[in-house]
Amino acid sequence: MIRTRAITKIVSTTEGELQILQPISFDVNSGESVAIVGASGSGKSTLLGLLAGLDQVTDGEIFLDEAPLHKMDEEARARMRGEKVGFIFQSFMLVQSLTALENVMLPAEITGLANPRQAALEALQQVGLEHRASHYPNQLSGGEQQRVAIARAFITRPKILFADEPTGNLDAANGDKVEKLLFELNRQAGTTLVLVTHDTELAQRCDRQLHMHAGSLTEESEEKASAEQRYVS
Amino acid sequence: MSANPNAAVLTLSWRLFRHEARRGELTVILLAIILSVAAVLSLSLFSERLQSALTDRTAEFLAADRLLGSDKPVPDTWLEQARTQGLNTAQRVQMRSMVFANDELMLADVRAVSNAYPLKGTIKLADQPFGLGKAVETLPGPGEVWLDSRLFQVLGIQQGDKVEIGEKNFVVSGVISELPDGGFNVFGGDPLVLMPLSDLAATRITGPGSRTDYDYMFSGDSAALDDYYQWLEPQLDSELHYWRSVEDDDSPLGRSVRRAEQYFLLASLLAIVLASVSIAVAAQRYSHRHYDPVAIMKTLGAPGAMVRKIYLMQIIFIATLGIALGAGIGFAAQHVVAELIADKVPVALDAWHWRPFIIAVFTGVVCALLFSLYPLMKLFSVPPLRVLRRDLGASVGSRISQFIAAGSAIFMLMWAYSGDLKISLILLVTGLMLAAALLVVTMGLIWLGRKLGQGRMGAWQLAWARIQRRAMDNSVQLISFAITIMLLLVVLVMRNDMVKQWQEQLPEGTPNYFMINITDQQRPTVESHFETRGVQMENFYPVVRGRFVAINDDTIRTEVTKEDDERGRRGLGREANLTWSNTLQHENRVVAGSWHGEPDDAQQLYQVSVESQVAERLDIQLGDMLRFNIGSEVVEAQVGSLREVNWQTMQPNFFFVLEPAAMEAFSPTYITSFHLPTEQKALLGQLMSPFPTVTLFDVDARINQLRSVVSQVSLAVEFILVLVLCAGALVLVAQVQSTMDERQQELAILRTLGARGRMIRMSVIAEFIIIGVVAGTMAALANELALYLLQSQVFNMQTAVHWQYWLLAPLTGALVVGLLGAISCWRLLSLNTSQLLRKMV
Ligand SMILES: Nc1ncnc2c1ncn2[C@@H]1O[C@H](COP(=O)(O)OP(=O)(O)O)[C@@H](O)[C@H]1O
Ligand SMILES: [Mg+2]
Repeated sequence: MIRTRAITKIVSTTEGELQILQPISFDVNSGESVAIVGASGSGKSTLLGLLAGLDQVTDGEIFLDEAPLHKMDEEARARMRGEKVGFIFQSFMLVQSLTALENVMLPAEITGLANPRQAALEALQQVGLEHRASHYPNQLSGGEQQRVAIARAFITRPKILFADEPTGNLDAANGDKVEKLLFELNRQAGTTLVLVTHDTELAQRCDRQLHMHAGSLTEESEEKASAEQRYVS
Repeated sequence: MSANPNAAVLTLSWRLFRHEARRGELTVILLAIILSVAAVLSLSLFSERLQSALTDRTAEFLAADRLLGSDKPVPDTWLEQARTQGLNTAQRVQMRSMVFANDELMLADVRAVSNAYPLKGTIKLADQPFGLGKAVETLPGPGEVWLDSRLFQVLGIQQGDKVEIGEKNFVVSGVISELPDGGFNVFGGDPLVLMPLSDLAATRITGPGSRTDYDYMFSGDSAALDDYYQWLEPQLDSELHYWRSVEDDDSPLGRSVRRAEQYFLLASLLAIVLASVSIAVAAQRYSHRHYDPVAIMKTLGAPGAMVRKIYLMQIIFIATLGIALGAGIGFAAQHVVAELIADKVPVALDAWHWRPFIIAVFTGVVCALLFSLYPLMKLFSVPPLRVLRRDLGASVGSRISQFIAAGSAIFMLMWAYSGDLKISLILLVTGLMLAAALLVVTMGLIWLGRKLGQGRMGAWQLAWARIQRRAMDNSVQLISFAITIMLLLVVLVMRNDMVKQWQEQLPEGTPNYFMINITDQQRPTVESHFETRGVQMENFYPVVRGRFVAINDDTIRTEVTKEDDERGRRGLGREANLTWSNTLQHENRVVAGSWHGEPDDAQQLYQVSVESQVAERLDIQLGDMLRFNIGSEVVEAQVGSLREVNWQTMQPNFFFVLEPAAMEAFSPTYITSFHLPTEQKALLGQLMSPFPTVTLFDVDARINQLRSVVSQVSLAVEFILVLVLCAGALVLVAQVQSTMDERQQELAILRTLGARGRMIRMSVIAEFIIIGVVAGTMAALANELALYLLQSQVFNMQTAVHWQYWLLAPLTGALVVGLLGAISCWRLLSLNTSQLLRKMV
């Protein structure tokens, strides 16, 4: 599903060029769930952004569902994201001036799915928030907002889901709830999942863990028997 | 819903617009557009109505909208053409002629008028000479004349008596108190006679050799008048004909009205600038708030074109709503104001003018588009990666280019609206200089900070980096506050100066009667007679009539006569009033040479002081010898000084003031003036009856006319001022609000760190007060420059420095900005910390 070959990321700052990712290569299989773990500032989010086509690699190759992301411009990547990718973020990233239902409808409308309202209501039902459909994000708790974000992520039936610290802003109880929901829906839809976390419990629920340190993948551990072993570097 | 992307754009943008409007998120930008449209509409609608009323009012002084003057009768076809083009026409034939009665005679200004006269304004008749006038709608019938009060006095006649003009006898049937086109000549003008045009031929006074003016008057709507002039112009002979409109009116009144019109224009321009500033501020804020939604939509796969369309639609929705509401509110506002003052100020009744509506809508559209363009471009450039890296913002152009774009947009708007490059340039240049000065000040502070911070370790550099970022923000705030305050100052001070100068022109107690022909022997009696009746006399000026015959042995009679022709009746007469004095008259100013009254003066020759305009016309230089014939005597005097005379004051003014020694041989008559309140007019008979030989000039009606127009114009200016002040106040509120947004995050963090509300409040208020003081000071400086340029280049007014505002502006700036800051800060702090933090997400 994902293939990366020696991808690097260099950014320019006022103090000169800064390499935030050393050459990284690894693959993720279809239906697999992968956790990227590591200390804060180790480059996890940067990597996620590149994999999801939100950002452009400096060097190297990324194939997402066989499509060469590294050769695509922002417009092409946007189309790609709309068709194949779902997102969940630490800070929820709901549009404040749209209701829960309308937030869930948003990707369906952007990509031109038929019947977005119906689909969105069903998705809200799946996360148990159909009764809050007409509420605005600031009328919902953090946990509820993240559940709305999960419903939004699944409405387009993406092939692959990216999550950046999905429980990072939530207390333990809400975090658990969101976590359960995420894995449950992921299992049902058979989606490939890549998530960034420093919650070890969450990481352990994934098939595979990639450890990051100072911009490099260091080791890969605790693979589950079912997962195919295929890693580099 | 369909898969059509355009349908999705429409639903999405409509949905965003609806929710945001309902939740009050659009209030600021909507208010800004509403404000700009409402201010521009109400100001220009109001001033349009007011102007057409004032133009009508001044048209009365021409007794028509347009006037064609000619030395000879013009072809009848010219008048027929005017009538077929839908204009009203009237004729006035004017000449000087003697009026005889009871073996007395007096030179008069005889006017023969056609039936339609006057096309504008009204004639007032009095019951008896020097009585109070009442408007009438009639004209003297065939064989009748109406006469000026002075003629009754000098000729010793009464109504019903007969007078002879040329070869025809007339019955006197009215006492003229006021003609709309009577002119502003205080004295020296001949007494008026009004007769029917049909009787003119029988008098035979218009024969060859007589100087006769044929005036043709026109009225109608301005388009028709312009059309007619287009037709007429090629046939006019500049030697014979001249075309006058109200705008050419060079009387004090015409000048006042023109100045007021320029002021309205200026005020409307400033309203446009204020509105533009507030829209720019609001659009900036709007764009900032939508960084996240744009990043989210892009992340979810929205192509760039889709995002652009969604927001363009939004702006169209917002602009449409803003323009509609603004137009409604603006119309209502000017309507209410016009209703409120209808009895005090003449406001045109036909309330519908398309131009202001078009201008207002155009302003709304242009402002909404131009000033949201840059913020929108920034918005479109927000990268989707912002969803992961929250600090990523937009990446478009520099602030400098934004300023340049905004500045030129404002300039284009002002120019398009006013069509007056000078005013627009003056405002642009002073605005730019103010902005540049403020930038230099803040940049200087930053540079100083860097210098001080150099060599220190990280933490210091970090702190300075932060201050530098804030300083840029602060300087933007400073500039917008300062420009707002400056514009308000310009409108306020300009109004004060203008009204003050109008009032100085005609202070309370301005003499409204003039007496001439008081003999030396009469003088003490006149003085005591008036004094016992409680009437204060002004100065007595000695006068002898003299013929001005030569400059340096060049006989100039012909030249003077020629000048006389060109200038018409208002020119220098063949006989001049010569006066003498050692003291310079009030409101006279020596512009060249030195006044002969000055003690160190030891000239051998007699000195004369000449009025500067006459000197210029007759080419008289300092040191020239002037020769006057007085009776059979000859007086020669050397030009010792040139004087500038304020012709706008209602006092006797003289072209020639001689040294008293030169005139010792002559026995003068005296001119003086006095003030008598209009209510005491009845006292005149009593005052004048012992002195039948003294001639009285009544300018009371003229002065009252002038004063009423000036006070109406002042009142109108007052209302415009209030409207602009309201607009400015609203802009300040919008600005404080948007800077408060920027501070929100800082406040939340301070709060979470445990800072007490009181302390935060005090620090924010202090910051606003400092901004207010600096903005106020700079605004006062820029105001001075703008006013100097406007008053000297556009308004033709005397300029002065306004020291009091150098103190007043910073004080009010601190007070108003500090207060507004305190209010919105208090509002923000009344939210609790978690609400604040949530608002930030
Ligand atoms: N555009 C950029 N400019 C400068 N530094 C960056 C940029 N993007 C990321 N970084 C830096 O790279 C490092 C990795 O960031 P990130 O991927 O967000 O780490 P993580 O998600 O693991 O906490 C951090 O030190 C971050 O500050
Ligand atoms: Mg991160």
